[in-house]
Amino acid sequence: MPRTPTTAPKPSTVSRALARDRLGVPSVLFFVMAGVAPLTVAAGVIPTAYQTTGLTGIPAAFLVIAVILAIFSSGYVAMTRRITHSGAFYAFISRGLGRVTGVAAALIALLAYSFLQAGLYGAFGPNAASEAAAHLHIHAPWWAWALGAWAVVAVLGLLRVDITGRVLGVLLCAELLVIVAETVLGLAHPAGGHLSFATLSPAALTSAGFGTFGVLAVVAVLGYVGFEQAPVLAEEAKNAKRTVPAATYLALGMIAVVYAGASWAMAGHAGTSHVVAAAGQEGPGLLFGLGGSNILSQAAQWLFLTSLFAAALSFHNCVWRYIFALGRENVLPAALGRTGGNNIPKAASLVQSVTGLAVITGYALTGQNPMERLFFWLGTTGGYGILLLLTVTSVAIIAFFARDPHGENMWRRLIAPALAAILLGGIVVLATLHYATLLGVPAGAPAAWVLPASYGAVAATGLAWGLVLKIRRPQAYAAIGLGPHAVTGQAAPAAERTR
Amino acid sequence: MTRPLSGTGRLADDLYLVAHHEITGKPHLQPRALGLGLAGGLLGELMLPGTIRLSSGLVVLGNGTPPGEELSRSVLHQIAGEREDLPARDWLLFLARTAPRDMAGRLAQAGYLTPAPGRRLSRSPRWVPADPDCAFAPLVRVKAALNTRGPAARQPLLLGGLAAACGLGHQLSLYLPPGAGHHLDQAAWDLDPGLQELIAQTKAVVDSALLAHRL
Repeated sequence: MPRTPTTAPKPSTVSRALARDRLGVPSVLFFVMAGVAPLTVAAGVIPTAYQTTGLTGIPAAFLVIAVILAIFSSGYVAMTRRITHSGAFYAFISRGLGRVTGVAAALIALLAYSFLQAGLYGAFGPNAASEAAAHLHIHAPWWAWALGAWAVVAVLGLLRVDITGRVLGVLLCAELLVIVAETVLGLAHPAGGHLSFATLSPAALTSAGFGTFGVLAVVAVLGYVGFEQAPVLAEEAKNAKRTVPAATYLALGMIAVVYAGASWAMAGHAGTSHVVAAAGQEGPGLLFGLGGSNILSQAAQWLFLTSLFAAALSFHNCVWRYIFALGRENVLPAALGRTGGNNIPKAASLVQSVTGLAVITGYALTGQNPMERLFFWLGTTGGYGILLLLTVTSVAIIAFFARDPHGENMWRRLIAPALAAILLGGIVVLATLHYATLLGVPAGAPAAWVLPASYGAVAATGLAWGLVLKIRRPQAYAAIGLGPHAVTGQAAPAAERTR
Repeated sequence: MTRPLSGTGRLADDLYLVAHHEITGKPHLQPRALGLGLAGGLLGELMLPGTIRLSSGLVVLGNGTPPGEELSRSVLHQIAGEREDLPARDWLLFLARTAPRDMAGRLAQAGYLTPAPGRRLSRSPRWVPADPDCAFAPLVRVKAALNTRGPAARQPLLLGGLAAACGLGHQLSLYLPPGAGHHLDQAAWDLDPGLQELIAQTKAVVDSALLAHRL
């Protein structure tokens, strides 16, 4: 049956209808920023970082890392145009450096995001406990509140109930407004009446030797975690060539300004030489108190709790999607890649929930300080894992485009990823050597090598498993890193739309 | 009025019934997954007689007889009206937007669905199966097809494959004998490559939607 002949080209009804449904830059940016959870970092990570590391160069680190991540992103988004996969690091590394390396990367990513998710309960618990004690006169230990939040996240995850976009949008805007307001007030009332730029200067990055920079970089990368999620939506984006890059760079810019500003305000308000001690005393109050004790600071404290909860749910969703994607590709047991009623991947969701429960229970039983030892330690270790992935991905990008330039220019396919690989690789080395400073423990303490070594262990497991798959299950091995559309043998849909 | 257990004889109608509870009419799938599965069913209805086929992932017109039924004819008309062959994925996403509503309307017209009793709070009507036995019958047909082979089994096997692809594997495992899922995978290999590809494309697009937070 011949096609209906047309004399003039008619715009495709299908293409127009599908385009309406696709996501523009604002939607992708919103998705990224919601995952970044600004107040969790501004009130949680930054004060704890000041206190635990004793370093004051945090504002400068945010700015420098923004530049390095922007360089990294040049090659990263170029690769997104060729490969669409929700587990971007894993897919890019598989296609660039081989599937065996890809399996190792997948397990590293899973561990990193799991650390990040579980760590959040360490901040929610004690802060909810203190708010409840102050306002509701309920006195319960931090782990009771942490378990409560865990239970709600576990149930919502199993039921596939997500916080609606509108509620998330309101919360996100409120968080950003609060941080900006506190920052402005803090900068307007500097210690001694004179605002110091010391914490923004490059000298602050190496105040205690080169190792300082490695430690500060891990803290900063932790703040930026979430920016790498934009490619998850690549297939749904209006214009794969522009939407994902635009959202990624905008997110980096916004995060840099907000975090550098907030951390600078905290140091400026307390005084550069006093901020570490002040952080130790006030914790998240270091941010909340910048504008004095009033409605703003109280609203900030409540928003901090909602931010932590929303971030815990968001990372739960991120982890189970990763588990599901890996189960689909047989990198993890296939049962984890199946859905039950209502398209819910129950197994994947449960695995993530059980991990979180085990971590909270472990910390509760050993009586460790949750804010420092659970939130900050696991959070920064998660950030360290992301740093590892960024470094290896940079190398993978070079390898991928070396085989076929795909029409990308020299900057995107070689110079930018090479620069990123060298800088990020250097940071990884420095951070590994000075991990004790990051954790605020004496050099040689067990945690200082156990935590980073955990990545070595999963990487070795991943390499071994990848080899096993290559030899014993070649069909499954061949599909690694290719995503859902591998079964159809077609090019990534986003790649098609850039033609 | 009793309807025959054999149903309307249409693939997408059977898939709609499998995807909803046979008594309450409650869907077993997320809305987007339901739409994508039913879209696969609509394409399958045109592929079975060869009216359209899949070629390198693109939907192309074939030499088969055009359908007599109004909705299928409308889908075929839309396919023929595009100036170039589009990927199956695009058609699945496009048809998914309206498929649940269209299927409910078609089944209601044929007497297999009735409006749910009670006050309507939302504008979209809720449907319940007119006869639970008729609503359950498609699953029985899938089970029967696992034991037979040949041309008569094509449609029920395709139904089983598409049901599993859009996330009804759990449902199938509840009502089919143990190990049926495995048999279904193997039986699907008996289908023409084009129909196998339709199942694969449907699964790919549903999984992608889940991973991209659209499901």
